[in-house]
This record gives sequence, structure tokens and C-alpha cells, in this order.
Amino acid sequence: MQTILSIAIDALAFGMVLFIICIGLSLTMGLMRVVNLAHGAFAMIAGYIASYAARDLGLGYAVAIFLAIIGTIIISIPLERFLYRRIYGSPELTQVLMTIGITFCVIGITNYFFGPTLKTIPLPQALSQPIDVGFRTIAAHRLFVIACGAVVAGGLWYLIERTSFGIKLRATVDNAAMSDALGVRTQVVYAISFAIAIGLAALGGVVGAEFLPIEPYYALRYMVTFLVVVSVGGAGSIPGAVIACLLLGFIDTTGRYLMPEFGNFFFYAAVILIVCLFPRGFLGRAQ
Amino acid sequence: MQVMAQAQTVSAAPRAKGLWWRDVIGIMLIVICGAAGYWLFPDNLALLTRIVAVALLVLSIDLIVGYCGVATLGQAALFGAGAYAAGIACVNGVTEPMTLIAIGALAGATAGLVMGAIMLRAHGLAQLVLSIAIVQLFHEAANKASAYTGGSDGLAGLMVSPLFGIFEFDLWGKTAYLMGFALLLLVFILLKFIVASPFGMLCRGIKQDPVRIRAMGAFVFPVLLKMFVISGAVAGMGGALAAISTQVVGLDSVSFELSANALVMLVLGGLGTLYGALIGTIIFMGFEHMVSAINPFHWMTMVGALLIAVVLAAPGGLTSLAEKLRGGKA
Amino acid sequence: MTAGKRILGAAVGALLMGSVSAYADTIKVGIIGPFSGPFALQGKNFQAGVEAYMALNGKTVKGHTIEVIYRDLPAANPAQSRALAQELVVKDKVQYLGGVYFTPDAMAITPLLAQANTPLVIFNAATSAIMNTSPLVVRTSFTTAQTTSPLGKIAFDEGVKKAITVVSDYGPGVDAENAFKKAFEAAGGQVVESIRMPMNTTDFSPIMQRVRDSGAAGLFTFLPSGPPTLGFVKAFNETGLKQAGIKFYAPGDLTQESDLPALGAAAEGLKTSFHYAVSHDSPENKKFVEAATKAIGGADQLSFPSVGAYDGMHVIYKMIEATDGKQDAQKAVDAVKGLSWTSPRGPVRIESDNRHITQNIYLREVAKGADGKYINKEVQTFANQKDPGMPTQ
Repeated sequence: MQTILSIAIDALAFGMVLFIICIGLSLTMGLMRVVNLAHGAFAMIAGYIASYAARDLGLGYAVAIFLAIIGTIIISIPLERFLYRRIYGSPELTQVLMTIGITFCVIGITNYFFGPTLKTIPLPQALSQPIDVGFRTIAAHRLFVIACGAVVAGGLWYLIERTSFGIKLRATVDNAAMSDALGVRTQVVYAISFAIAIGLAALGGVVGAEFLPIEPYYALRYMVTFLVVVSVGGAGSIPGAVIACLLLGFIDTTGRYLMPEFGNFFFYAAVILIVCLFPRGFLGRAQ
Repeated sequence: MQVMAQAQTVSAAPRAKGLWWRDVIGIMLIVICGAAGYWLFPDNLALLTRIVAVALLVLSIDLIVGYCGVATLGQAALFGAGAYAAGIACVNGVTEPMTLIAIGALAGATAGLVMGAIMLRAHGLAQLVLSIAIVQLFHEAANKASAYTGGSDGLAGLMVSPLFGIFEFDLWGKTAYLMGFALLLLVFILLKFIVASPFGMLCRGIKQDPVRIRAMGAFVFPVLLKMFVISGAVAGMGGALAAISTQVVGLDSVSFELSANALVMLVLGGLGTLYGALIGTIIFMGFEHMVSAINPFHWMTMVGALLIAVVLAAPGGLTSLAEKLRGGKA
Repeated sequence: MTAGKRILGAAVGALLMGSVSAYADTIKVGIIGPFSGPFALQGKNFQAGVEAYMALNGKTVKGHTIEVIYRDLPAANPAQSRALAQELVVKDKVQYLGGVYFTPDAMAITPLLAQANTPLVIFNAATSAIMNTSPLVVRTSFTTAQTTSPLGKIAFDEGVKKAITVVSDYGPGVDAENAFKKAFEAAGGQVVESIRMPMNTTDFSPIMQRVRDSGAAGLFTFLPSGPPTLGFVKAFNETGLKQAGIKFYAPGDLTQESDLPALGAAAEGLKTSFHYAVSHDSPENKKFVEAATKAIGGADQLSFPSVGAYDGMHVIYKMIEATDGKQDAQKAVDAVKGLSWTSPRGPVRIESDNRHITQNIYLREVAKGADGKYINKEVQTFANQKDPGMPTQ
């Protein structure tokens, strides 16, 4: 029992990191129909900014997270304006080509400026201590990540289902031309959603740095994982993404506990099975 | 969705009959390029052979992406199946190069059958993810079966006997290049016939509108599966060629990275023309080779910039740029 | 410029050259390594080692000018490796090949050597079997079995009777597992469980849970240097295994110097065994570190591949000296068999039979150095360790 609980809590923390990073990608893919393979690159940029702020400038962890999110969004604005706007509505493969190109450039440039070594984001004292939760000790940071994931999921659900912006967003997704005709400024809606997606990637990159360490190849190394999570959950669906992250986190973690040697077999076999059973992901919208 | 449908219509514009001479000229050009490579870069034949092997892989992707509209990021599974089959056969005493190519083609076709049977159950993004999962499983399997594949240390010690008993696979790589090039040419001509055949037309039809093809009374699944098998055979031959010319098979030949790079090359060159596959491969690998020799520390930035520039200037790939220029003149 | 002037210039040039040596010419050395990609830092270390050697020992040998050509091979890719080696030999006319970070890349080059009449000096690739594939290969790095074996005895002597091994599931990981098992069981210990984890593992807590469940008193691990080591070490601390007093053993790949700033306090006290620590205390190493730091552009980027490259260049220089610039691979290799010298890592020797380097293996502990930065502090020396050879599967 103790072991099961222990594994469950690890799986939950890992799943939440995936969720925070991937939900942004799920939004861009589901709502804006852009296969943004450079999504991880933005998480990585945020990690570098946070590392610079916290380690080299000595700022606090919260300030570093804030700076990282703002900084990454600022960097993404010209990219959205000059590059992404050209590929909205393009065939998927063109989008793949463009976003892989962006990923390569980001990797090359960070490698040049920050060097190829690992960068860490120092945690505040409160988060770096192991906490005794009764049946085992767990890093406080893991509990923090779980909390972050819950807040993000709740906040997004509220934004999309309960606010006027959410209504405009859903309208634009269903029929952009019609919404435009009805006075919704679709370009603005797209730009804001893109910024939200990038901001979430940034948040995930920073708080997830303990799981996925920041280094120049971050953007390529985890690209596959992110894509898999989004497609299993169903692009554009928040509950779908939550289920996918928790399930895949669970399969991954238990697979690695029970039979570490075949951990990858478990994971990818499960992915094939799920995708064959739910070709649109758990809760993907019909196209 | 609308825009995509339009793009598809453009890429699959019906080709006028009587343009067979264009293909003859195209194939002549390929021969000239191949010969020029041989005479102009006699010291780089190993690189050229590698390009030929990857070109086969990219051609095989074009068959299913460009002609059938099935997106894949896992084609290296088929390439690697061919490479490992040829490599294992060679280590176990089958050393005749043409036989090894045939073994590679067979293994690739079999892998293609399996992969197609799984991938054709889904569409769009899910299909892409299935292809990734499959190539990762192949990669894991090759790593696990290290008794047969050498695992991450690579399968070494391939001693290929001379081609026709005369031409050896040596340091200078003339035999490997000429054999590889002849193979590429042969495959290319065959594929030209296949894609122009009623079967090839059917595939294009399915790519444009599977519902209508079904309504016409054709079965979609077996047609696409057949193309998967052909594609697998082509990729497998590429893998076998790589194994023969390198004498080592590494895990990189079943990697996601190779699949992704090959897809990038194809999209760079242009989908659905077969020429685009060759052009994309040569430009991408040539560019990579040059830039990484000049300044290895920055090649990634430059390749990235090249890809972005291509999307901005020629979203349909480089062959579409040529079409556009011709259209402009006319 | 008129033809006459050109001839005159050439004549003067020939005279000047002639005064240095009868065979004055340029000898090219081709170095293949990962200069871009995820392993770019290791390639940079190759380059730093080579440049440090040339800065300290001059760019000429017996009047022959040495020219180094670098070629980039970002990840393990035998086909590309062969293409690069072929181009270096045929087109650039190099007389010596060096470098090579990954085993399969080396395996792709060795079949070419006899025909190319070119020796290959391996700066890193650490699988024993490479040396059997060609008589023209010399290696100045280490093998995983060589750096791992002493740990078995160390662990047993520290009172660990039961140990668990956790390694990355690929060639070197399996080598390390076998080598440790052999040494630990020979010392009298028992390996209760062996876990091989996939290369792309990022969350190690489930693994740590297994370690805890196994009841072992010591943990032996092997991970390739790079990002996953950070997660592994953190998981070890955070899941309370460190507090529980479980002893941690690993070869030095895990705590390579360039990862230490990131590992930081988490790695403090970890014991690893390796052939080289940047902090090694000797006059040779002081000179080397100074020159290599200048070449690489930052002290915290320096790690073990640089010393492999440095000694590799030493071997190549000795080969050139022995052949006096003539291309004769067999003679060159024969000349360095049995060669011994004092490397920055300590006394070393090229064995005549397997052409691999025999060297001291050090037990080191991660600790704060005099300047407050973390270093691998050497605490124990195992002198003259040979490659124990291919561990049986």
C-alpha cells in the first residue's frame, strides 16, 4: 500500500509537469490548428531566463518565474507577428517545417549565448526540503508542482468556459470567418491565445526544471513526449489533457517501477493502444 | 481545412498526357547529376553514397506522404529494418551484395506491412503520433536485442563480398557509390511508373477525398497498405545500401531523429513529385555537410534559418518554386 | 606578380625550409568529434586538449609542421563517421586520424585503416571490443570496465555486503553493470538486483523506490554524462535514500567537472571512480589545465575528454617522430607500443598487446575546492589499472 501511494504521488507530480507544459501546445494545436513543434523551445527559453534571474542576479524564485513568463512572451511576440502568422491555415507539413526551423535556431542561439552546460534554477529553502508525508519523504517542490498544475487547469477552464474572452475564443475556433463578420477581432483573439499558450509553456519550463533539466537540446529531447501527450488527450481539450497527462504519467512511472528495463515498451505500446481505440484522443473535438 | 483542401488540389493537379518526354529529360538530368557527382567529387564518394541511401528513404516517405496523404515521422523504422536485416544476414554468412539488398527490401516491406496496418487506423495528428510510437518501439527492440544487433555499440564486422565477384567495397567507395546510384535510378524509374499507374492515381484520389473514392466502390485500406509495402521495400533497400557501404549498422538507423530529418528533407524539396525528394535530400545534406565543415558550432542555427526561409519563400517546397518561376515566365 | 618573381619566391622559400629539416612538410591530423549537438561540450574538450598540447609542445615535430583538421559528428552515426573518415583520408590526405566519441563511430572507421595506411588514436570511445577490430587502433581514454572495477572492492571494504546496480540501458551501461558485479562478487559481496533503465528516463523516483525496496546497503549506478545525471542525483537525495545511509557508487562520468556547477550541493560527498580529475595535483596537470582552460574559454567547461585528447596528441607526436613524416601506419603504431610517460592524469603506458592505455584509477569525492567551487577530490589511488577486457554478458 505504502509503495502504491508512493508511486501514485510521483506519477501525479510528473503528470502535472507534463500537463502545464503541454496544455499550451494542446491549445495552439486544437484551437489555432498550428502544429507548433517549437513549443518546447519556449519552455526552454523561460528556463534560461529564470536560471539567469535566480542564479546570476540572485532574485527570488517567484520573481524569477514571473520574469521568465513575461520575458518569454515578449520574445514570442515578434515570432508570432512575423513567422507564425504566415503559417496559420497552412498545410500541417509546412507548419512542421517552419517550427522545426525555429526550434533549430533557438537551440543554436542558446547554445551560443549560454553554452552547452546544464543550467539549474535554485529553489527557495522552503521548496528544496524533503517533507515527511507520513508514509515517505517527498520533495516539497513536487507538492508545489502538483498545486501549480491544479491551479492552471482550474484557471484555464474558468477562462474558456466562463469569461467573455472564452466565448469569443470558442466562437473563433468553430468558425473564424463568421465570428469575424460578427465583430470578433479574430487576429487579437489568436494573438492572446498564443501568448497564453507560450506563458503556460514558460511556467511549465521553470517549475518543471527539476524533472526536465534546462539545456540547449531540451527543445528537441522532449518534443516527442509533448506531441504524444497532446494527441492522446485530444488537441484543444483541457480535461482530455489532464486525463492524458495523469494516465501517461501513471503508466510511465509504474512501468519504470515494475519493469524498468521495458519502461519504454510499456509507454509506447500504451500510446499505440490508446490512439487506436481513441483516434481523436480521449476528448478531442470531431473535425 | 478549406485552405488545406485547396493546397492538396494544387499539389495533385492532373498532369497532361503526352508529357512523358518531361520525365525522360528529368531522368537524364538525374543521370547527369549522378555522373557529375562521381567525376567532380571523387574524394567524397562515401558522402555521396550516404546521400543516395537517404534519398531512397526520402523517396519512400514521398510515396506515403506525398501520394497518399499519410503523415509519418517514423519511416526510419522501415529503413532500419532493412539495414539490420541486411547486416544480420551479412554477419551470418550471406555476403553477396545484391542478395543483401533484396533481403533489405523484403524486411522493409514486411515492416511496412505491419506499420501500415497499425497506422492506417488513425488520421492526422494521431497517425503522426502512432508513427512516432512505432519507430520508438523498433528502436527499443533493436537496443534490447543486442545479441543480434549489437545494441548501442552497433552491429560491426560486416564483410561484404565483391560485387559480381569483381568490384570490392573499399576505402574509395567507387563500387558502393555506383551500385547505390544504379539502384536509386532503377527505383526512381520504377516508382515513376507506379505513381502514374491506375494504382498510383487511386492513391492520389484517396489523398484528395477518401469519402468519394469509397463511394466509387474502391477499398481504401488495401490500396494504402499496398503503397506502405512498396514504400517499405524502397526504404529497406536504402537501409541495406547504408549497411553495405558503411559495414556497420547503428541504432541511429531506427531513430526518430532520422525519420524527422528525412521528412524535413522531403518537405523542403516538395511533396508528391519524386523529384522533390531527391532535390530536398541533396540540398539538405549538402548544406549540412558544407556548413558543418566550415563552422560546426553554428550549423544548427543556419539549417534552421534555411528551413524558415524556405517556408517564407516557397511554402510548397523548392520544386514548387520552380513551378512558380515557370508559371511566371509563361 | 610575374613568373620570374614567383620562381624566386619559391626558391627562397625552399631554402628557408631546407634549413630546418630535409623533409620539412605539413603533416595533417584529422580529428572527428561531436562539435555540435547535445555532446558539443565533449567535442570542445577534444579541441581544447589538442590545442593545449600544441601550445605546450610546439606545432612542429622534427621540422614537420602539424596541421589539425576538425570534422563534426554530432551524435552516434556510423555512416556519417565513415564518410568523414574517408573524406579526411582521401581528400584532405591526413596521415593520422584521432578523436571519436562514440563506440559505433569507431567501429565504422576501423575497417578502413589498413587500406588507408592510417593509424587511429581514439580519444574517448570506451568499449573494449574496438581494439580487436584493427591492429592500427590506439586508445588513450579508458574503458568503462577499467574505471568501474575498483569500485567493487571499495564498496565491500566500506561494509556494503548487499548492493543494487542501476544503469542506463545501453552498451557502456551494461559494461559497467557487469564489471561492478564481477568485482563486487569477487570481493565477497552480493548484488541483490540489477536494474537497467531506458536512456530517456527523466523521472527517477520510481527507480529510487525500487532501490529502497531491495534492501541493499549500496547503490552502484552508471549514467552517461549530461542532463539525466542531475535528475538521478536529486532523486537520490529527495527520496530520502541519502538520509537513510545508502552508499552511492558510480564511475566518474556521473560527476564530470562540467556538470558539477549544476549538480552543486546535491552531489556533495558522492564517491566516484575515474581516470582523471581536473583537480589532480601534479605539475603536469597544472600546466595542462592552464593551457586547456585558455583553449576552451572557461574553467568550468573542462572535463575528462580533454585529457584523452591531450594524451592522444602525445601519441600522435611520438608516431610522427618515429616515422619522420613518412606515411607508415604499422611502423607508427609499433613505435608507441609500450610507450610510457607522465600524463596530466598521472603515469600511463600504452600496452603492447591491446594498444590500450594503462593508468591509475582514482577514487574521488565531490567536495568544495579552495575557491568554493565543487571539485572531484581524489581520496584513493589504484595504481596501474589495465583494461580488464570484455566482461562476459
